Amino acid sequence: MNRSTGFAFIAPLLVLMVVAFNLPIIYMLGLAFWDKGRGFTLEHYEGLLEAPVYLRVLGNTLRISLIATIANVAIGYPLAHWMRGLGRRARLIAIALVVLPFWVSILVRTYAWIVVLGNGGLVNRSLQWLGLTDAPVQFLYNELGVTIGMANVLLPFLVLPLFAAMIRIDDRLLQAAASLGAPPRTIFWKVYFPLTLPALAAGTLLVFILCLGFYVTPAVLGGGRVPMISNLLDTLINQIPRWEQASAISTILLIVALVIFAGYRRLDRKASA
Amino acid sequence: MRRRTFVKAAAASLPSFGILSAAQAQSKEIRMIESGGLSGDSIQVGYIDPLKAKTGITVVRESPSSLGKLRALVESGQGGTTLFELGSGIVQQAKKLGLIEKLDWAAINPAPMFPEAKNEYGFGYQYFSTIMAWRKGVKEPKNFIEFFDSKAFPGKRCLPDFPHYCLPFALQSTGVPIDKLFPLDVDAAFKRLNEIKKDVAVWWKAGAQPPQLMKDNEVQYSICWSGRVVGDPAFGLNFAGGKADLSYIAVVKGSKPDDKLAAWKLYHEMSLAENQAKAAQVISYTGPSPDLDALLPKDKLWQYPTSKQNKDVQYFENAEWWAENGEAVNKKWEAFKLSL
Repeated sequence: MNRSTGFAFIAPLLVLMVVAFNLPIIYMLGLAFWDKGRGFTLEHYEGLLEAPVYLRVLGNTLRISLIATIANVAIGYPLAHWMRGLGRRARLIAIALVVLPFWVSILVRTYAWIVVLGNGGLVNRSLQWLGLTDAPVQFLYNELGVTIGMANVLLPFLVLPLFAAMIRIDDRLLQAAASLGAPPRTIFWKVYFPLTLPALAAGTLLVFILCLGFYVTPAVLGGGRVPMISNLLDTLINQIPRWEQASAISTILLIVALVIFAGYRRLDRKASA
Repeated sequence: MRRRTFVKAAAASLPSFGILSAAQAQSKEIRMIESGGLSGDSIQVGYIDPLKAKTGITVVRESPSSLGKLRALVESGQGGTTLFELGSGIVQQAKKLGLIEKLDWAAINPAPMFPEAKNEYGFGYQYFSTIMAWRKGVKEPKNFIEFFDSKAFPGKRCLPDFPHYCLPFALQSTGVPIDKLFPLDVDAAFKRLNEIKKDVAVWWKAGAQPPQLMKDNEVQYSICWSGRVVGDPAFGLNFAGGKADLSYIAVVKGSKPDDKLAAWKLYHEMSLAENQAKAAQVISYTGPSPDLDALLPKDKLWQYPTSKQNKDVQYFENAEWWAENGEAVNKKWEAFKLSL
């Protein structure tokens, strides 16, 4: 089969992608530049500068995404490392436990946190029963609650690629380092960690970009007190409805995500060179 | 179908045959987008079922009904949906954006109804109230000065995440009486909100949130929709200082003439007091007929937004003011939310 017939097989898929996904996105991004009556306009971008509140929500979103990503790495890396050291059977069970939440609706998982962390929830009742606190600790309806919820939902996205990379690391490399007299700490930082770095970077980036667009978790666990960009877009699109303003904000969000991705590619190429 | 009911149905549908023989044919099925939940069920039981029995016209319901969805319907040029439920302020906005059409009140030929419900662009079909409520067992506030006084009335609050609900209540807590709320002193209202925001645990977006949060003891006091809390023994409530508002059903711009003919028939059913009484059995919100009170159960009058004792202590939503100032206030609201 030559190249051109191969392309003919692919063409319908390509058309579907372009027509069903790419064109609507381009149309949506174009909305901010086009006014039905007057033609080309930058008014909606000027609006963003005049009322900086929307950009501040974007800044808030970046900050919370960063915190949630760091929390994810702090939990996910040791977890993946621990899973690597397990026996075959235990490892299978551990993977199942990590993947299982994937099969439960994100809404259900998010509401479950209310049962666990609420004022009358499991954690608060245990704390009070143990006599550690008198009044319930406010875990929910603040940034802490949103961060916990987001870290929970996104953990598999980090753990699975990280675990796949760790399991491929040859044990003999670590043994060689040990036989040359390196202490465990040096082996970890000089041999093991650099080998997991590409997967860690890719997983972190994935989690961070997914955080930027999170909607359900901040809406439910934030109690309306943690403004994130998706919730603002929902208001602008569904309630007000100022699609042009929403389009301008989406464009900026897309650019931010692309810049982060470009930065990652640059680092990645440097590392492999 | 039993013989007698068949005869009745045939007799009832005779007038519509008369119309069919006239120049225009009316559609046998139209579509409506409404806000869902019990409110949607009340439309079904109160108005759609009687219409079906009388004329054979079917109304298919869908929900929810956001202004963005209406804009998408009109801009994509589809003609499948005729009726759309909108809040009082949203009707003004939709009119400004050219998303809805004028109603043909002559063709609707309604039974007597309150004047504010008979809008050029919408049929005000359902009064609802936004009121203070609390979990049974806490100290009971009598007005919004007390409601927001967290020293005398300790507990967490749950407020709506919408400025046109929160600001007038915040102003009342500074001592402004309900007949002096508009034009709204926005800065004074935000100043007051900044003082009380530390007591607010949750700002709600969905009407189901406040009753659930009060039941779970996550919050003790809420400002919420009356229909969500009346009749539930777990809650106490007070209509004093509450907001009475009216939901409208409007006609989507570009609807087919045949569909509109059927829609006028539904509007007529919606104006009849006996149908409104049926709807009020499903949800404790009331229709716009002045004759309705006589048909409602006496022991439940205290639950309804338009009962004499409740109507007198509430203020009525000022949709015109919000249509003028809503957008500017919304931006201030987003900035306020960032300071939480």
